[in-house]
Amino acid sequence: MSREPAPQPDVLQQVGAIAKGMATVFKQTFRKDNTEQWPKQIVAPPERSHIGRHLLNKHENGLEKCIGCELCAFACPADAIWVEGADNDPENPTSPGERYAKDYQINYLRCIMCGLCVEACPTRALTLTSYFELSFTSREEAIWTKEQLLEPPPPLGTDPVDREG
Amino acid sequence: MSEDLVTLTIDGKEVTVPAGTLIIRAAEQLGIEIPRFCDHPMLDPVGACRQCYVQIEGQPKLFTSCTTTVAPAMVVRTQNTSDEAHTAQVANLEFLLLNHPLDCPICDRGGECPLQDQALAFGPGESRYREAKRVYEKPLHLSALVNLDRERCVLCARCTRFCDQISGDRFIELYARGASQQVAIAPGEDFRSPFSGNTVQICPVGALTATPYRFVARPFDLSTADSVCPHCSAGCNLKIDMRRGEVVRQLARDNLEVNDGWACDKGRFAFGFPDSPDRITTPLVRDHGLEPASFGEVFGRIAEWTEGKRVAFLSGGRLTDEESYALSKLARTVFATNDLDHRRHLEGGELELLWAAGLTGVTYERVERAKAIVLVGLDAEQEVPILHLRIRKAARRGAKVFVIHHRRTRLHDVATHILCRPDEVAGLLAELAAGTSAAPAGLAGAALREAGNDGVMLIGAGALDRPGAADASLAAASATGARITMVSRRANDHGALRAGVHPGLLPGGRPIAVPEDRAEVELVWGQIPNYRPGRNARQILEACARREIDVLFLVGVDPLRDFPDAALALRALRNVPRKVVQSLELGSLEPYADAFLPAAAFVEKDGHFTTWEGRSQRLKPLRPAPGIALPEWEIFASLALACGSDLGFETLEELQEELGGLVAARESVPDWPPSPAPPPMAQGLELFTYPLLVDEGRLSEGAARLKAALQEEAFVEVHPQDAAATGLAAGGRAILRTEAGQAELPVRVTEHIARGTVFVPFNQPGLAANTLLSGTFATAVTLEPAHAAAGPSGGPADAQPEEVPA
Repeated sequence: MSREPAPQPDVLQQVGAIAKGMATVFKQTFRKDNTEQWPKQIVAPPERSHIGRHLLNKHENGLEKCIGCELCAFACPADAIWVEGADNDPENPTSPGERYAKDYQINYLRCIMCGLCVEACPTRALTLTSYFELSFTSREEAIWTKEQLLEPPPPLGTDPVDREG
Repeated sequence: MSEDLVTLTIDGKEVTVPAGTLIIRAAEQLGIEIPRFCDHPMLDPVGACRQCYVQIEGQPKLFTSCTTTVAPAMVVRTQNTSDEAHTAQVANLEFLLLNHPLDCPICDRGGECPLQDQALAFGPGESRYREAKRVYEKPLHLSALVNLDRERCVLCARCTRFCDQISGDRFIELYARGASQQVAIAPGEDFRSPFSGNTVQICPVGALTATPYRFVARPFDLSTADSVCPHCSAGCNLKIDMRRGEVVRQLARDNLEVNDGWACDKGRFAFGFPDSPDRITTPLVRDHGLEPASFGEVFGRIAEWTEGKRVAFLSGGRLTDEESYALSKLARTVFATNDLDHRRHLEGGELELLWAAGLTGVTYERVERAKAIVLVGLDAEQEVPILHLRIRKAARRGAKVFVIHHRRTRLHDVATHILCRPDEVAGLLAELAAGTSAAPAGLAGAALREAGNDGVMLIGAGALDRPGAADASLAAASATGARITMVSRRANDHGALRAGVHPGLLPGGRPIAVPEDRAEVELVWGQIPNYRPGRNARQILEACARREIDVLFLVGVDPLRDFPDAALALRALRNVPRKVVQSLELGSLEPYADAFLPAAAFVEKDGHFTTWEGRSQRLKPLRPAPGIALPEWEIFASLALACGSDLGFETLEELQEELGGLVAARESVPDWPPSPAPPPMAQGLELFTYPLLVDEGRLSEGAARLKAALQEEAFVEVHPQDAAATGLAAGGRAILRTEAGQAELPVRVTEHIARGTVFVPFNQPGLAANTLLSGTFATAVTLEPAHAAAGPSGGPADAQPEEVPA
């Protein structure tokens, strides 16, 4: 039941393979570096790249676009979004129509940045921004409140809080 | 059972159904789904939405399957096999959606909407309608509980048919015609029906929504579980929706044997009490003030207090069967006392014994199929609302309904009312038993006699208030051959009675004084140390007031509010050295409690509630109890251990096994001595009271919307002649004086109350009527006008009968 010995490879062939592999290594070694020296150097991400935190948008008249419908929470595969709806005060509405979001939270420990929530949003209230500088030192800090999400993101590299925290 | 059967073919499949079945029902039996909006199995067919079109071979036009009955050899083709039916259904959905707003994201129905679901399943996908949609002001508040959005309405008429056919509270109606047809309510009118929430549940779109659930959650947020309503003895099956452990909505669950798929507004909307901010979830013990302690510490103290002392127990109607049983066993075997009671009314005599033994045999189905129904001292709508709906259903089927009461009830449009003073009830029942007179009582007797086995007598707590009435109704039932039962108000009065929370009855309605019956229980319990029947609730409180009791246990009951003699309850609490309160919260007992044991609420415990019929229905624990609160039976079992004894069960299963053998329906009961002759009643005015559906009861705490919609301020109701004699005017105020106290209340003058009687609701805002009572729910009263707040100046001659809102 002895196995057939494997055919002996040609020595030249082996040397050629090594040379080919090393050529790739050397080519990469001397190529221009793509690494960004974040946070010392901030490179603006390409326009319309949605790779960062969410933003709750407002209408031009200052009313919130979010109507608290929870469709984002429904779409979320990571169960990262918590929404509580409530009745708008007709005298002093928060959003157009009857319903607004009394509470809105995104847990960035859960969020996987898939963007399904944005697709689900019927009022384009929720969008993703390119602000990716999310770092936390506690679980509570990772849960963004409605007030935080309504705030447009600062330019990259300028938020001192997370950096020092 | 010689029902004619009809065989027909639907989509090529044969089905045999009783003649008169609707095609849509026959299709359901085959598992064929025909889209529908207006069709509802409990409501008469109307064919309003036109969604359920099917093709019937040989017929030139399409038929609505919800209004067409089956015929022999009929060949029906639904949307599955008929292009014509399919096209018509798609077109109809497009029509229904023409004016339907794109509100789904903000609509409470979104995610559980029959229109949404069926538009997806059967609809066209796109609308060709590009014009502006019809716009209405929205939402319209029909009441503090129900909102109407006319834009979303598809005019299926389910809500209006419910009000017309089921509840009889015809507040809403379809109004105007054509494109402007809409559900409407009379201007200035409120949807003051205690069944209004059902219209919200059966609305197939989001046109009717409930304010307490408005924008609160989405279906995917909710964990839903089955439960049973804790509010009255109707035992409605509920679906309880919780969001993150908090109850946010209760819906009626279909159980055709019990609630028919309906629930009253109290059952539906008074769900806040387990989450009340006043709830206490740790044991407390009084050293200087009430301070938190461990269960072990409190049990140790109670064991010290009770050692060799005289102990008594009062409980409410909120314990499960199992907990009541544990209480009965605890009191009798560990503390050797028979001083325990859960009742508020007087002795029910032999009727109560039959009820306790499970021998009454009246069920919802019996009521529905009855040919004659007599209610005695029972305001079904206010006390057991779902039974009220069943009685109405029976009346629609042709039953003759009679109500013997002191005041007209909401059955007035389907029943003959025999209004009487409390001391006249027994006489009327004797007249009914004879069944010969041409007066209404005689007619009721004749109707019962004619109905025979299909006659039903329902005896409410109002009739048990005066000795003799229960015996007289039992005699009337046996004279006429009618079935008879008691109907109590609180959720598990019946279970407590069957489990033996009663001074003279052991589990299963076994009188403790009867040696054979006692021996049956002693087989399980061992020797019962004390077999002299104990004191009833009133006697317990009197003994407390006389300092003859050392430790009083108050289990889920607040005698200051619940017992019909507030002064006696207060004296009792002041004179008992030790009071142990076991409940969800302390409330008005806070100054008196020496120890507090936190109990689990109905959503947190396992067990059974027994309906007025005797049907045991399972409660499941839907969430863990907050803090370290425990189910009551566990508290009783641990307390027994702390007192150096043992109840003999460690798990609920062991308890249930023991209980099951003892409370199974028995074959007969021993004779019970007749009630003593009632004291003669004074000639003057007699005040009587019973609790209305929505009152200041502790289980309605936090249900602000429900109270805003249905709760009435305290009032006094008098007959016009009595009003004239005492100088009262409708709209004015009256001073009521009884032996126990006095009160000033707004006057309602109505001829729908027996002459010589005066009604005051038991526990409405403005007056806790037990401050006027001396131990029973009726008492002599004098009335005089209150002059400080003068009513209309016309004087008594102008007194107009005032319609009493239902």
